[in-house]
Amino acid sequence: MRVIKTGTFSDFSYNQIKTAFRFLLYMAIPLLICDDSSMARKQVARSLPDSWDVDITYATNGYEGIEAIRAGKGEMVFLDLTMPGLDGYGVLESVKSEELKAVIIVISGDIQPEARERVKSLGALDFIKKPINKDKLQEVLLTYGLLEL
Amino acid sequence: MPNLKIDEIHRDAMQEITNVAMGQAGDKLARLLDTFVILSIPHIDIMRPSDIVMALQAVDSRDSVSGVCQGFIGGGISGEAMLLFNDTSFTDLAKLMNYDDELDQQAERELLMDATNVLFGACLNGIAEQIDVSFSFGPPLVLGQHRKFSEIFNTENAKWENALVTEINYQLENYDVNCDLLIIMTEESLDLLFKKLDYLLEA
Repeated sequence: MRVIKTGTFSDFSYNQIKTAFRFLLYMAIPLLICDDSSMARKQVARSLPDSWDVDITYATNGYEGIEAIRAGKGEMVFLDLTMPGLDGYGVLESVKSEELKAVIIVISGDIQPEARERVKSLGALDFIKKPINKDKLQEVLLTYGLLEL
Repeated sequence: MPNLKIDEIHRDAMQEITNVAMGQAGDKLARLLDTFVILSIPHIDIMRPSDIVMALQAVDSRDSVSGVCQGFIGGGISGEAMLLFNDTSFTDLAKLMNYDDELDQQAERELLMDATNVLFGACLNGIAEQIDVSFSFGPPLVLGQHRKFSEIFNTENAKWENALVTEINYQLENYDVNCDLLIIMTEESLDLLFKKLDYLLEA
């Protein structure tokens, strides 16, 4: 590798650098699936694209979810809304207030348009209706360039 | 405690499909009333008739309530859905439905039936669709208005001993409207229901 001029790194964002290194080192994306239902967690895991190199962590409520994100296990998060203890809205609020780095997609049965607007205003990238399947998830991931075919 | 039990895997699966179905029904209610519906986690367990009052969130044994029930059957699964409104809900419900006249028993009955039609259909069909069956419905019956829950639902007269009860609570944000939707599935339905859930778990 050629020596890079001092200061060049500051031209890139933290995420760009990390993405570049991930590509070089073939690092898997730390993915968090946060849902209180074990069936729902499995449905999400089964819907992931086959080509996706991810390192999956599971959380069964919002508190576990936030802990995992703080620990760097949730750069990408699939988040349920209705959960005991801290719910999905609470997770989004914590991520926002603590300025944690996480790309969050809400997967919920609460299909009220208002719920979608609320999660987006709290920083969620998008909203997918339950029950999830491979096609729905792939479509959203492609839309945001999180997956390349 | 009843002898019949539901294991954690089936309870979890039933909770998740209920979660999806109650979300669809909640969305319909939100559109009808043009307000936001607060969803909570459904409560699912095998119960005896005498356990039901304890499972209710919207009403208390002392409260004055109004209720409707409707039978359903299909794909070897049968039971009854029950919707219970705390009577304090009707003032706000009438406001949200733009009902301007004086709120008498007949008017409240209409509001009750409107809510029933939206919630029962969407919720039960939502469950049926996920487990790949289709339900037929009996006529909705008003169980009673402005009475105590124990008068509406007499545990002595219940036709069942043990049943799978799903309790769904709906509240409206910024309004004093609170109701419980109960889905009571007969003991005889459970083998088939669990098979359907297994299929869903393996899919």
